[in-house]
Amino acid sequence: MIWKHVTACLGISLGSAMAALMAGAAVMPGIAQAADPVTLTFRFNDPEQKEMRAALDAFEKANPGIKINLERMAWKDARDQFLREAAVGETPDVVHIAFVWAKEMGEAGALAPLDALIKASPPGKGLGDFIAMDLATGKDGKIYALPWTTDTWAMVYRTDLLDQAGVKGLPATWDELRQVSRDVHAKTGKTGFGFPAGSASSGSLWFLANYNWWSNGKALVVEKDNKFSVGVDKADVAGTMNYFKSYLDDGDTPKSMLGVSDWADPVIIRGLADGSIAIGIMPPASFREAINAYTAANPGKAAPFTSGPVPKGTTVGTSHLGGRMLGISATSKHPQEAWKLVQFLNDASIFTGAYKSQFPAQRSLLQSVDFGPELKGFAEQLTHARTWGPYADGPYAMGSMWNLTGRAFGAALSGQTSVDAAAGDLLTQVGKLNAGR
Amino acid sequence: MRGDRLFITVMLGPALIILALFYLWPMVENLRVSFTDLTLLRLRVGGQWIGLANYEEFLTSPETGRLMMNTFIWLTAISVAVRLLLGLAIALIVNTPLVRHLKLATIARIAILVPWATPPVVAIIIWRWLLEAPDGALNTVLVTLGIIDTPIAFLSDLRTVWPSVIAIVVWNTVPLIALSLLASLQAVPADLYEAAELDGASRSAKFWHITLPFLKPTMVVLGLTSVFWTFNNFVYVWLATGAGPGTFTNVLATEIYIRSFVDFRLGYGAAIGIVMALIMAVFGYFYFRMIGRRQIEEVL
Repeated sequence: MIWKHVTACLGISLGSAMAALMAGAAVMPGIAQAADPVTLTFRFNDPEQKEMRAALDAFEKANPGIKINLERMAWKDARDQFLREAAVGETPDVVHIAFVWAKEMGEAGALAPLDALIKASPPGKGLGDFIAMDLATGKDGKIYALPWTTDTWAMVYRTDLLDQAGVKGLPATWDELRQVSRDVHAKTGKTGFGFPAGSASSGSLWFLANYNWWSNGKALVVEKDNKFSVGVDKADVAGTMNYFKSYLDDGDTPKSMLGVSDWADPVIIRGLADGSIAIGIMPPASFREAINAYTAANPGKAAPFTSGPVPKGTTVGTSHLGGRMLGISATSKHPQEAWKLVQFLNDASIFTGAYKSQFPAQRSLLQSVDFGPELKGFAEQLTHARTWGPYADGPYAMGSMWNLTGRAFGAALSGQTSVDAAAGDLLTQVGKLNAGR
Repeated sequence: MRGDRLFITVMLGPALIILALFYLWPMVENLRVSFTDLTLLRLRVGGQWIGLANYEEFLTSPETGRLMMNTFIWLTAISVAVRLLLGLAIALIVNTPLVRHLKLATIARIAILVPWATPPVVAIIIWRWLLEAPDGALNTVLVTLGIIDTPIAFLSDLRTVWPSVIAIVVWNTVPLIALSLLASLQAVPADLYEAAELDGASRSAKFWHITLPFLKPTMVVLGLTSVFWTFNNFVYVWLATGAGPGTFTNVLATEIYIRSFVDFRLGYGAAIGIVMALIMAVFGYFYFRMIGRRQIEEVL
């Protein structure tokens, strides 16, 4: 009796499933015919979704056979999410990535080599016009992404607070910056250098530490004769830790900055806009946010901001050449169409319309960018910025070094461990990173 | 009889298949990965078998002691203890004749439910705003009242970061404890209190000898289940402090995330996951011994 019911149920289920499959099979050709235009998915991680959508609409109009599905992913999740998707072949066709991800993603088989596409239809004024091509090229010599935008970090200042503190001229060295920060705090009561001192795995201390080392002629990773090694010693690391710790210990940077890791954290943007922070360090897009916040709160008033190179930034390459690239997924079924989109996104009109917060990664376009008076420091710094070079080429995983540096500096700056212990621990941990990625 | 067994087996089959697919298979797969050097960058090609190397590295790491202490003591033991005590206190207050007399019991129940109905992510964002320095609500109040001179960075100061995380966990999860204990309190027979009063028992004697013994089974269940939920929890610490400052609030769950998705070492992350699962299995054993078997016996 029981079996009778069970087999009856199973029969009904199987019958329904078969009917559904047959109906689906009958309908499928019709669907295939209706879905004639190629649909690409473009994952774009920056905030200009609306403007980018408008640009993509124009692309669709010019290319009636291609439809673009625009996706957004937070930058901090974008890398591991794409790699997870790549493992199961469910990736967007065109993906927005950071400069330093291209090699590892290409070598992991997540990005398609672009060499044949480039050869058949070279982008812009040719590959030679694109900066940071070394970061786009894998160890196998294949090109895995096309540089799209570039930027670097620079110092940003509230000129009114510097005036109140009697500061004449922008600081050119780390010691001068230290003194200006002290002076501002002593004379205005405001925060001097409001740097993000948090220890998050993708925090800003990574950049600050490296800038400091680079300005002293050192680097965390160095290359000699194609061999990579750690290029700083315990004294170098401890010196940098002590330098930044002194801001917190002396009080011209509040200890609450230990809870701020992101260079564009609202605490910093708001602080610069309302004048509670006098000095910051950030990329141009974040600086524009601060200026916009000030302008919104003070309509009609000139924004009291200026920017300048990072300490020693114009004498040695002290800031990193950052930026974004565009890659095509290795599992994309439409690489030709995806390449067409990548080329469209590198058109000059994109950088004056949909994507104004970033600078183009093509030298010819970069020359014509109007940086304006506030971004003068960025323009100056950009010509002296350096790529991550050995950091990206060597066996040390960038994400792990970034995390370890942030943790070690966070431990030292917060007092969790002594500066010496944190410095030693950082070097030990970085030393352990190997080519096992 | 034989037909009944067959029927039971057939009826349980789908559930067992689902359990095997969604619980057993991922666990076995995770165990397999923990013996490999699989990384996120090599997901497509797979990792190499490295035996117990991941376990050895984790168990001999100098950081492991701190991770264990943070997870066991701060995140789990203290937060569960505070939750139970606070939940008991809230339940006792709501159950007092005065609250019932003032007809505040329903309002109190709704007020208790609000934190529980708040998703953890939202709760953490609210608390971050409250605890922020220098302009957070709590700092503003404390400075205005003259209790402190300078704002405290609650979530980045070593002295306050753990109490702050625990406050968030407790706020978000104490309602379940309070409401469960309130329900148990209302099930205590009133004649026991009346008899005790006739015998001249004091208020504290009634609490220790009548109320608490009645609440004990509920408290044990709540305590053990809270241990499960809290020990494995990732979001409270990660979203509140990012495991910082430094590694000060790093716990096992956040370590798995860092190792797997920052360092990309999926094999190593899987090994930590297995260690956590084993620890939870010990808790599970006690749970079964103390609670589960009795419940099963009652059902059968």
